[in-house]
Amino acid sequence: MPKASTLAAVLYLGLSSLAALAFVGLATLKGEAWSARLIGGVWVFLLTAIILMPVVIPWVRKHAEGR
Amino acid sequence: MSRRLTLPIEGMSCASCVANVETALKGLAGVQEVRVNLATEQATVAYDPTRVTLQDLRKAVEEIGYGLRTATTYLRVTGMSCASCVENVRRALAELPGVVDVSVNLSTETARVDHLLGAVSVRELLTAVREVAYGAEEKLEGGAALDREQEARRREIHRQRRNLLVATPLALLVMLGTFQPYGVLSRLVPEFLHNKLLLFALTTPLVVGPGAQFFVHSFRGLRRGTTDMNLLYATGIGAAYLIAVVNTFWPASGFGGPQATFYEAAALLTWFILLGRYLEAVTRGRTSEAIRRLMRLQPRRARVLRDGQEVEVSVGEVVVGDVLVVRPGEQVPVDGLVVEGYSAVDQSMITGESIPVEKRPGDEVLGGTLNKTGSFTYRATRVGKETVLAQIIRLVEEAQTSKAPIQRLADLVAGRFIFWVHVLALATFLFWYFVGYDLWFSPQTRLMLTPYTLSDASAVGFAVLVSVAVLVISCPCAVGLATPAAMMAGTGKAAEYGILFKGADAVEAASKVQVVIFDKTGTLTKGSPSVTDVVAQGLSEGEVLRWAALAEKRSEHPLGEAIVRAAQERGLSPEDPEEFEALPGRGVAAWRSSRQVLLGNRTLMAEQGISLDGLAPGAEELEAQGKTAMFVVVDGHAVGVVAVADTLRETALVAVRELQAMGIRVAMLSGDNRRTAQAIAKQLGMDTVLAEVLPGDKAAEIQRLQAQGYRVAMVGDGINDAPALAQADVGIAMGAGTDVAKETGHVVLVKDDLLDVVAAIQVARATMGLVKQNLFWAFAYNTAAIPLAFGILYPFVHQIVSPELAAVLMATSSLSVTLNTQRMRGYVPPVRRRYRAAEVPGRPGTAAPVPSGS
Repeated sequence: MPKASTLAAVLYLGLSSLAALAFVGLATLKGEAWSARLIGGVWVFLLTAIILMPVVIPWVRKHAEGR
Repeated sequence: MSRRLTLPIEGMSCASCVANVETALKGLAGVQEVRVNLATEQATVAYDPTRVTLQDLRKAVEEIGYGLRTATTYLRVTGMSCASCVENVRRALAELPGVVDVSVNLSTETARVDHLLGAVSVRELLTAVREVAYGAEEKLEGGAALDREQEARRREIHRQRRNLLVATPLALLVMLGTFQPYGVLSRLVPEFLHNKLLLFALTTPLVVGPGAQFFVHSFRGLRRGTTDMNLLYATGIGAAYLIAVVNTFWPASGFGGPQATFYEAAALLTWFILLGRYLEAVTRGRTSEAIRRLMRLQPRRARVLRDGQEVEVSVGEVVVGDVLVVRPGEQVPVDGLVVEGYSAVDQSMITGESIPVEKRPGDEVLGGTLNKTGSFTYRATRVGKETVLAQIIRLVEEAQTSKAPIQRLADLVAGRFIFWVHVLALATFLFWYFVGYDLWFSPQTRLMLTPYTLSDASAVGFAVLVSVAVLVISCPCAVGLATPAAMMAGTGKAAEYGILFKGADAVEAASKVQVVIFDKTGTLTKGSPSVTDVVAQGLSEGEVLRWAALAEKRSEHPLGEAIVRAAQERGLSPEDPEEFEALPGRGVAAWRSSRQVLLGNRTLMAEQGISLDGLAPGAEELEAQGKTAMFVVVDGHAVGVVAVADTLRETALVAVRELQAMGIRVAMLSGDNRRTAQAIAKQLGMDTVLAEVLPGDKAAEIQRLQAQGYRVAMVGDGINDAPALAQADVGIAMGAGTDVAKETGHVVLVKDDLLDVVAAIQVARATMGLVKQNLFWAFAYNTAAIPLAFGILYPFVHQIVSPELAAVLMATSSLSVTLNTQRMRGYVPPVRRRYRAAEVPGRPGTAAPVPSGS
């Protein structure tokens, strides 16, 4: 079983990547340049990771303790 | 989910106690298993921490009359800068098994941890704090604490000053270089400073040098799943810097074009935050000045007589019983009783009395006070943590570490703030990228208070800029500082006047008081009554007084002592009773040689069916004069009346008038009959009298007023009136003198001065006023600034908040809170401005004798 911190990292990084990909996808549909898509994607990834880390880490730790 | 914990239980003595504790704990939902051991006085509990907390377990045990053995550890926590930090530290400590309660104070940089005895070590507490990226060490006491604290503050101020010294010239050059083409700067500043590569070279060391602390701290916190305002700074500075780098090396990428490099945004943002940190480091030290001033009073050396020789030793080596020598101009090292010599001692630093107090053999002297004129020797009675000064420091520290209800709300809001700010920043970015830019973007777009136009800004560049402004402008540091800084200033100021608030909640409660109830004897009066009249019926006056003194000889009531003293002064030698019974609120009964003596009020007479026909008119006349009349009954026959009167305190009338002028209803609580009590109330101009109240019913009377919706303060003797003080919204224990820590009550007054009651409420009101002003500045700023940063005005003015303007606004908010709090330094309670201690005009209370017996 992976350690709680690794599991948490996989979760918040995965979810942040999904959010960034979703942004890139929508930006592509909007017809934006690649640089804008890339910068926007990175910014969305960063903000989403910052939002998710303090939520996901305690949640995973709590559930890991409960097992 | 299950957690197992061993609770040290207090008060178990038998098998039924074991069963009681087991039943109480098992009755809680979420408790899976309980084993109670009487021999070890422990209960081992397996429970689900998601359903039941340690607080619940403690409550269950306490509700059935037992207790949990707990200990309190104080930690000094460094590196906290906002309410989120406070919440991070609190949560890290509260999550440790065995921790019952945690209170973290940003201003004092202190964490108070109540934990089960032996369940958690100091090392574990320190590790928990360090793991969430803050510095921690155990808080020391006394001189060592002062040294350590001063050293730590010096280091922090030095560190922030060094950062600022590095950052200032760099930020100045970057700013001049950026704005070189504009206005007069084009003539004053050399053109090469505007070179983007030079600006990059100047900004980079600023961001990775003094600015690195924000990134390091944020990263450490994020790894543990915690966020604080450093993260806002880091994302703000980082984003501005990255945009500048992108615009320098890839100018066509759409972040405002080659003219908008934003190096000055990253540089000035870093500089403003560093300036804020430096000013905070300097001013935060000042707000805990009260504690430091008290700590500085603690003498370090003492002159002890050993084998007839004066030996100078460290004050820590003085033990109870040592005889010490104090010369003129020296500080008294520890508490004690004067053995020899005469002097005047300045006690103002502890009691607030402005006039030095004369000390003769047998008088008490307090450690930390200043000997003025003569020399004396004295015997140490209290040393170390037991001295009055140490107790006061502890009380003030505890008050400053505790949290007022209003602060808990502010912390809760601020604690969740960072999360929601990032959510808002993300929403802002997505909104402006997908919707706002296409709808409203204009090539005339400007950054507020900068010469830039963002004509070349792409949707992504524009949206990132706006979201960075939201991040920076939303910093909740002012919210986190608003309440604790004001509380520290207020409780510290109160301590200067000998007014000790036992917690921030006491300050809040005192500020809302609507009714002040004074106990009579010993509070409104001096509590040293004397016999004024003896009325005899069938016996001589001497006989009546002798019987009364016999009845009261074993009594410890001040009234009884007055009667015995009066008998002795008249040469009567009252015999000892063979049996004695105190009848609370009514009088006493005593027996000698098969004869019974009763001494008491009408209630007692009515209970015993004693006829007062011949004595009643005389007693009524005495009561109308405000004296306490007690009937003397020998073998069932009323034989006389003894009248006793006390003296009003000098400040009683002024205190009552001042309170009434503040819009507070003033009442008196007394065990005396209504007529007597009303006579005194009339002298003092009180409109409410609660008379004929038995000692045990005082709390009920207060409860009755509370049920009518009043917030009640009770002023009384900390020991005798303990239940009433505890029942009141604010219990004010007066004249604690040398035992401040043992007093019941939420507020302890060191002196016997009734004006301190007024001063306490005035300080509390001023402090809460300050709290509200600070919260206004903090919240109003956030409320107003966030929509501005979000770009709510953009469609109309085509200007957005620049990151550096956001930093200026954020710093202004923190500074306004800090500077507003500094106003408390010069605060003098209005009543103290009008009447200095012992300077009450006319001393209205001295002339009139008043009864005792409440």
